[in-house]
Amino acid sequence: MVKWEYSESIESDSIVSIQDKYGHFIDGKFSTPNSKNYLKTVSPSTEEVLASISIGNEKDVDKAVNAAKEGFKRWSKTTPSERAKYLYKLARLIQERSREFAVLESIDGGKPIKESRDFDLPQVASNFFYFAGWADKLDISWGAKEMKPYGVVGQIIPWNFPLLMLAWKVAPALATGNTVVLKPAETTPLTALLFAELCEEVGLPKGVFNLVTGDGTTGAELVNHEGISKIAFTGSTSVGKYIQNAVGERDIGLTLELGGKAANIVYNDAALDQAVEGVVNGIFFNQGHVCCAGSRLLLQEDIHDEFINKLEKRMQTLRVGNPLDKNTDIGAINSKEQLDKITSLVNEGVNDGGELFQIECELPSTGYWYRPSLFTNVQPSYNIAREEIFGPVLTTLTFRTPEEAVEIANNTEYGLSAGIWTEKGSKILWTADRLDAGVIWANTFNKFDPSSPFGGYKESGFGREGGRHGLLSYLKVRS
Amino acid sequence: MTEIKKTYKNYVDGKYVRSESGKTYTVELKSESYELPLTSKKDLRDAVTSSKSGFDSWNKLSQYNRTQIIYRLSEMIEGNRDSYVEILLDYGLTKAAANKDIDNAINTIVWYAGLADKWEQLTGNLNPVVGEYFNISHQEPIGVVFSLNSTEISIDKLLSSFLPALSIGCSVINLSEKNAVLSLKLAEDINNSDLPSGALNLLSGDFSKILDDVSRHVEINALASYKKLNKENLKIINENASTSVKRIFHLPSEEGLSSILPFIETKTVWHPKGR
Repeated sequence: MVKWEYSESIESDSIVSIQDKYGHFIDGKFSTPNSKNYLKTVSPSTEEVLASISIGNEKDVDKAVNAAKEGFKRWSKTTPSERAKYLYKLARLIQERSREFAVLESIDGGKPIKESRDFDLPQVASNFFYFAGWADKLDISWGAKEMKPYGVVGQIIPWNFPLLMLAWKVAPALATGNTVVLKPAETTPLTALLFAELCEEVGLPKGVFNLVTGDGTTGAELVNHEGISKIAFTGSTSVGKYIQNAVGERDIGLTLELGGKAANIVYNDAALDQAVEGVVNGIFFNQGHVCCAGSRLLLQEDIHDEFINKLEKRMQTLRVGNPLDKNTDIGAINSKEQLDKITSLVNEGVNDGGELFQIECELPSTGYWYRPSLFTNVQPSYNIAREEIFGPVLTTLTFRTPEEAVEIANNTEYGLSAGIWTEKGSKILWTADRLDAGVIWANTFNKFDPSSPFGGYKESGFGREGGRHGLLSYLKVRS
Repeated sequence: MTEIKKTYKNYVDGKYVRSESGKTYTVELKSESYELPLTSKKDLRDAVTSSKSGFDSWNKLSQYNRTQIIYRLSEMIEGNRDSYVEILLDYGLTKAAANKDIDNAINTIVWYAGLADKWEQLTGNLNPVVGEYFNISHQEPIGVVFSLNSTEISIDKLLSSFLPALSIGCSVINLSEKNAVLSLKLAEDINNSDLPSGALNLLSGDFSKILDDVSRHVEINALASYKKLNKENLKIINENASTSVKRIFHLPSEEGLSSILPFIETKTVWHPKGR
C-alpha cells in the first residue's frame, strides 16, 4: 500500500481570545461569583491551562434561578414573533462567528477542527434557525388547545458536543417561552461562555438565558433548587438516575438523554465497503465520545473475516493528532479521567479474552490520546460488550440470523440508537421495527438534523430533542 | 327466594381471580356492601406477566382490528346500561347524572376506537432533514403501563385512565381503589369485547400497599397516576423509578391527542436516497 504523507495544515488559534478567569452569566451580564472556588479548564491536546472557571455554589445557583424567574415574566410578555426574532439573530451571530467558536471548541474539548468547523457549528446555527421558526407556530405544532411553558428550566449538558448540546437545549427551551439556567460541563465551558456574550449582544431580555459554570456539585445545586420547574439533562445513565431520584416529591418536568451501547448490524448482503465507512464513522466520530456511537459491531458470521480485514485496513488510515490540524480524523481524548476510564475498560477486555487490534501511529508526547481500537473474539457477557466505553473502541459480536441479530442488539439496558446495513429494503424495515432504539440509521450512521427527533428507549432516557417532537419536552400540552 | 349476590374479582389475564392473599376490603355503598380483592404484591407480579404477553398479542392484531374491538366495548356497555346505572346510583349519583356518565363513557370509547388506526398519522411525520435522506419519525407504544384510576365515581373517568394507553397498543394494568366496583363490573364487558387476554388487567385495592413494587418493577415501562398523589408517595415513586429510568406521569391529560403522548416512544429512522 502506498503511504501518503500529509503536510500539516494548522488552523490558527489567533482568532480566539480566552480570559484568565470567568464569572457566571446571570441577569444579562457577567458577574463576580459568590463561590471562591475555581477549577482550571485545560486543553486536552496540550495539557495547557486555558482559564480559571468558577465552581458555582448554592448562592450562585440561587441568584441565577431567581434571575430566570424574573426573566420568565419578561419573556412571557414578549410576543412569539419577537421571541423568534431573538433566536434568528442568535443564529445569524453564531454563523458570523462560527470559525471562532469552532477553534475554541477544538482547543477546549480536543475534537478535530474538521468536525467542529464542518459539523458542530453548522448544526448549532441550524438548531437556532429551526427552533426560531417554531416560536410563533406553537399553536399549530400539535393542534393543542393549550400549550404552556414550564417556567424556569435547569439544563445540564455534557462535554462531548459542548456548544451543540447547548443549542439542542437552549433553542427549543427559549422558543417555547421558558427561561434557562444552564450548567455546561466542567471540562468544556468556554464556548458556552462565549455564547453568553452573544446573548448580551443581541439584547436578549435580562434573565432569559443564565449560565452558571462548575462541576457536579454545581449541577446538584441546580437539580435540587426549588425554583426549577423542569430539568433537562444530557449525560451518563448513572447521573441521569441520580437526577430522577433527586426529583423526589417535586412534581416537575424531566427529560433525560443518557448513555448508549448501539448495535451496528451488518448483514451479509450489505454493500461492504460502504458499511466499513459507516462503521468507522459510527465509532470513531468525535473520538467515540458520542452517546449514540455504534460501539457494538454485529457481523453476520459468514462475512466476519472479510469485513474485519477491510475494517482494520481502513482504520489504519485514520490520522490521530493535533485537533487544529485540518487533516486530523481523531483528536484528543477529552480529559485524563476519560482516558483512564477507556484504558481500564480496554485492559479488562483483553484480560477477559478479547482480541485487540490497535492502529499503528505516533501519538503526541503531551495531551490525552487513544489509538483507534477494535475488539474481536468477544463474548456478549464481557464488559466491553455491555458498558458504554465512550471512546474510540469498537467491539465485535457475530450472529447467524436476523432474529439473532435483533436479540443481541436489544440485549442491553440501553436503547438510544442502532445501525442496519443491508441492500434489502424489506430487511431494513423488518429489523427497524424490532429494534428498541430511538434513532435508527439504515445504510448510514451518525446523521443529525435539527428537524429530526433524537432520544432514547429504556435506560437511555426519555423525551426527544429536535423536530416537532422536541417541542413537547418544553411544553405542557392539553388538547 | 334468596337473593344471589355476585362475587367481585380482579380481572387478570382474561380470568376473574381473587387475590392470592385471600384479602379483601369493604366498599360500603348506600344499599349494598361489596367485598373486593385487596391486590397484593404477588397479584401485581402476575398481572405484569400477563401484561407482557398481552402486549404482544394486542400488537399482533391490526390497528383496524383493534378499532373494532374497542368499539365493541361501547356496544356491550350500551346493552348493559341498567346495571351500570344501578351501581352508580348506589355510589350516590342521581339517575340523570348516572345516565349522563354512561353517555360520556360511550362517546369516549367511540373516540378512542377511531383513534386506534389514526394516532400514528397524528403524531408521526417525515422530517425535512438537510441532504439526500429519507427520515421518518415512526411512533410505537411504550409497552406495559400501570395506571391508577382517579377517585371519581365515573365510568367515563375510569375509561379515560386506560383507553389512551390501550388504544395505541400498550397493555395496561389498571388499579381502582374505592370506586373499584365500577372497574370490576366493567371487566365483564371487557371480557366480551374480544380483547386479547392480558391486554387489559383490572385490579382493585389500595395503591399505597403496592406502590413500592409498581414503581420498582422493571417490566412496567410507565406509571401514570390519574389520582393526585401526596408528596410522600411521589418521592418513593421517583426514587424507585430512577433505578430503571421508568417513565412517571402524574395527572396526565385525560382527553384528546395529548392524552396519548405520554405512552408513545418515537423511533426515527434514516436512510440515504440514491440511484
